[in-house]
Amino acid sequence: MILVWLILILLLGGLLSWLASRWNVLLARWIALGAVAVNFVLTAGIWFGNPVPVGWVAELDLEWIPRFGIHFHLALDGLSLLMLLLTFFLGMLGVLCSWKEISYRPGFFHFNLLWVLAGITGVFLTMDLFLFYFFWEVMLIPMYFLIGIWGHANRIYAAFKFFIFTQASGLFMLLAILSLYYVQAQQTGVYSFDYFDFLETPLPFKTAQWLMFGFLIAFIVKLPAFPFHNWLPDAHGEAPTAGSLVLAGLLLKTGAYGLLRFVVPLFPEPAMAFAPWGMLMGVIGILYGGKLAFAQNDLKRLIAYTSVSHMGFVMLGVFAFTELAYQGVVMQMITHGISTGALFLLAGMLYERTHTRDITRMGGLWKSSPALGAAMMVFVMASLGLPGLGNFIAEFLTLNGSWPANRLLTALAAVGLVIATVYSLRIMQKVFFGPMPQTWPAADLKPREYLIMIPLIAAIIWLGLFPQKTIETSGHAVTEISLKKGGSR
Amino acid sequence: MSHFLIVGAALFSIGLYTVFSRKNAILVLIGIEFMLNAAILNLVAFGRYDRIDNEGQVFAIFAIVLAAATVAVALAIIINVYKQYKTIDPDKIKDMKY
Amino acid sequence: MTSLIIVSVLAVAVLYLGLFKYKTALLPVSVTGLLAAAAMAAMDWDLEKMYFSEMMLFDNYAVAFSILLILTTLLIFGLSRNYFEKISNNVAEYYALMLFALAGGVVMVSFHNLAMLFIGIEILSISLYVLAGIRRKDPASNEASLKYFLMGAFATGFLLFGTALIYGATGSFNLAAIASSGAFESALFRAGVLLMMVGLSFKVSVAPFHTWTPDVYEGSPGLIAMFMATVVKTAGFAAFLRLFLMAFAEASAFWAITVAILCILTLFAGNITAVFQDRFKRLLAWSSVSHAGYLLLAILAVGFSASSAVLVYTIAYSLASVAAFGIMILVSRARGNDHLDSFNGLARTNPFLAFTLTLAVCSLAGIPLTAGFFGKFYVFKVALAQGYTWLVVLAVINAMIGIYYYFKVIIAMYMKENANAVAIQLNPGFRLVLSIVVFLIFLFGIFPGLIANIL
Repeated sequence: MILVWLILILLLGGLLSWLASRWNVLLARWIALGAVAVNFVLTAGIWFGNPVPVGWVAELDLEWIPRFGIHFHLALDGLSLLMLLLTFFLGMLGVLCSWKEISYRPGFFHFNLLWVLAGITGVFLTMDLFLFYFFWEVMLIPMYFLIGIWGHANRIYAAFKFFIFTQASGLFMLLAILSLYYVQAQQTGVYSFDYFDFLETPLPFKTAQWLMFGFLIAFIVKLPAFPFHNWLPDAHGEAPTAGSLVLAGLLLKTGAYGLLRFVVPLFPEPAMAFAPWGMLMGVIGILYGGKLAFAQNDLKRLIAYTSVSHMGFVMLGVFAFTELAYQGVVMQMITHGISTGALFLLAGMLYERTHTRDITRMGGLWKSSPALGAAMMVFVMASLGLPGLGNFIAEFLTLNGSWPANRLLTALAAVGLVIATVYSLRIMQKVFFGPMPQTWPAADLKPREYLIMIPLIAAIIWLGLFPQKTIETSGHAVTEISLKKGGSR
Repeated sequence: MSHFLIVGAALFSIGLYTVFSRKNAILVLIGIEFMLNAAILNLVAFGRYDRIDNEGQVFAIFAIVLAAATVAVALAIIINVYKQYKTIDPDKIKDMKY
Repeated sequence: MTSLIIVSVLAVAVLYLGLFKYKTALLPVSVTGLLAAAAMAAMDWDLEKMYFSEMMLFDNYAVAFSILLILTTLLIFGLSRNYFEKISNNVAEYYALMLFALAGGVVMVSFHNLAMLFIGIEILSISLYVLAGIRRKDPASNEASLKYFLMGAFATGFLLFGTALIYGATGSFNLAAIASSGAFESALFRAGVLLMMVGLSFKVSVAPFHTWTPDVYEGSPGLIAMFMATVVKTAGFAAFLRLFLMAFAEASAFWAITVAILCILTLFAGNITAVFQDRFKRLLAWSSVSHAGYLLLAILAVGFSASSAVLVYTIAYSLASVAAFGIMILVSRARGNDHLDSFNGLARTNPFLAFTLTLAVCSLAGIPLTAGFFGKFYVFKVALAQGYTWLVVLAVINAMIGIYYYFKVIIAMYMKENANAVAIQLNPGFRLVLSIVVFLIFLFGIFPGLIANIL
């Protein structure tokens, strides 16, 4: 039952916040923050109660549309649990970072923000494929508004591009889900959209391959993998800070989650057959994303391209089909959420101070705001994979896990780390060191901003020094998934 | 029997041609009437084989009544259009475009 | 059956009220009458009664669609206060003609004999020819009326000729008798089916017989266009499906491919043309063409679920159309035209209207949490069940195109500004109807089982 509440609290919180904004904007912000915080506490409670979950920790199965065998089926395992913790953690920061930035229609803003989070929560929890598609789409519209209403100059174009890309790919997934439903009905006579029923259904290879591509297209557009990354720099670059945070930190993870949860377990043989191509796409993403990141002068677009590069590791790991690589992918999802989220937050803070995103116009800011610079330093280092910070563990595990699968591609992916060093250091150098082309009235971090940055820094260091906790939490779920490979059905 | 069908089909085709070729709403209307009457002729012809219920004949009467009602409305509309446009060529009545 | 009598008597009564100048009583009387008619229709549930020596059959299909038609008309009447008064002095005519059209619609969804189908369509159409041209001084309205009439009467010719041929092939007008006649192989029968298909396609604006739709919708008064897009379309499709389900289902191997081709043509014609529209009313007209294409998908899947799918789809579509046309009327009245630019800044001046319209176009585009999503899902589902995968793939591509143009209006409302826009005043009728529509779109979007289980 607690699982429904996680979603309902966000939905109701969004509505209440919208209503409250009519009378008091501050109240609206507090309601939004409170709703996400309550969820975070609830999820953390589950985690502390069950730090090494085996199987399904909580489950809820209600009939929704019995005529079609559609259930309201939610379930939580270690993987979902970690994803939810990340969701609510970043969600709180998203509300906090909008405290001063968003003054235009704040009620509607928080409504959209919380509904996106609700959709993401649903995606991470649902075990019914119809419901999954439902939540998959529910998170799109509010996100569209977040970018389109509160974004930067080119926001309408960016929002539209984001929407069309994800919606179009999502419709292919709907088609695949429906076809899967009928194929299953033909094979077994069971009319159901349930994940666990689909797991049991044997599929002919050709059919499975087509269906897998339906799912795959939705997930790798969302991830995004090369060559479907086109929407991402626009959407990330133009979105308001909280929007970029949610996009980079959470929405991209739904794609990765979908690959792990659905593509690999439901279609193991075709996924194996696709694996070399998948890994290749991953490596191209790593290198190409890194190269483009280096060429950007717009800070937010730069960070956006680093996401393309980092998500390449996810593709590489998912299609390596080793347990180690899957652990790496899960770590990568979390650490990328935190580090890139933090970078976007910092970019937002810089924008508040300088009113530009162009890094060639910044420079020498270390003098006026050393704390901001230090925070940036931590996450730039995380992004380039410095040992001791979370991203290092993730990338190390992924590369280690994919080595047996394909040595050449893994070696190429490792080159990506070098590129990462180059573009990461370029950020520091252009923004904080070197000559100051203009003098900015740049103040250092304010208490609220300290409140945002300290947990993030703590989290990324904790993940880097004690990754064992996280790996144990998702361990069982990941083992389950990796056991699916190669025709075990 | 087949004579009736041939006459019916011919009437229908003439009506169809009239609808497409005429530039006068009244003549288009007459073309439509041709089509309706072709159908009615067929109904009556087929009705011969349905001596018990005579459904065909009954339907034909219904169709004639409704066709008359249609014509009444049609003429009203055409008169109204003529008052507005001073023409009843459907091709010339084109204020709206795609 | 009682409901049909009530609607017909109500229409005559309304005419008399108009004659004796009881203008204020028109709306309350119509609304009460329609409520009574809907209640009476609901009483026929599960009775499966035949009337007039099997001329009409009030089965659950007929009851469900009758209630849908009546309630949609009710919603439209809810918006009509002070609307018709601005157009002419003889307000009673509107109510009476719309009620007559509704009676025709009820006949169309409950026929069990081709004669009743023909009569129902004619009652509906003749009323609409007049309604389309009811703004007698307005050239556009006249043009709409003339076009609608010429196309409609032309289609009637096809329909009647097709009926005659089917009568010749099977010896009966009775649907059950036609279905059991076994004459499906004869050329006469096949020609009859095709001709009837053409006739019905004209009526429900299926491509390539759709060319009248945008002009007629644009020229007609807004509420009449709304009536055409909702009640008329629903009745037309219910009749289409009923005919093919009850009489021609056995011969589906022969006509299915034709319907599939019509479906593709309609989807692409409607959606692609809609992309290039910059007037909201024309955009809605073209989108209504495209929705006919989605509904054809369900007709392809002749079977038990097809009627349920069409019902769900038409409910979702009617609700969304009422909201979209209603707000279009308000905006074009307040800002002079229905150009998409007129919607700029609506989110700031009228948050409720902007929200409602967003919900409506999301429902039309088929986005989850709205009833329209489930309608599309259901239609795709029944078509896939029949193995039309390629067709559904094409329909999905069209759904994507649809999102593109539907979102233009959302962009205008939320992301563009209009500095001198002032808030639009709503009368209570509008507020009530739009609130009901919002509630129902959400309700059926979250609990689609409520409508999916009716049939």
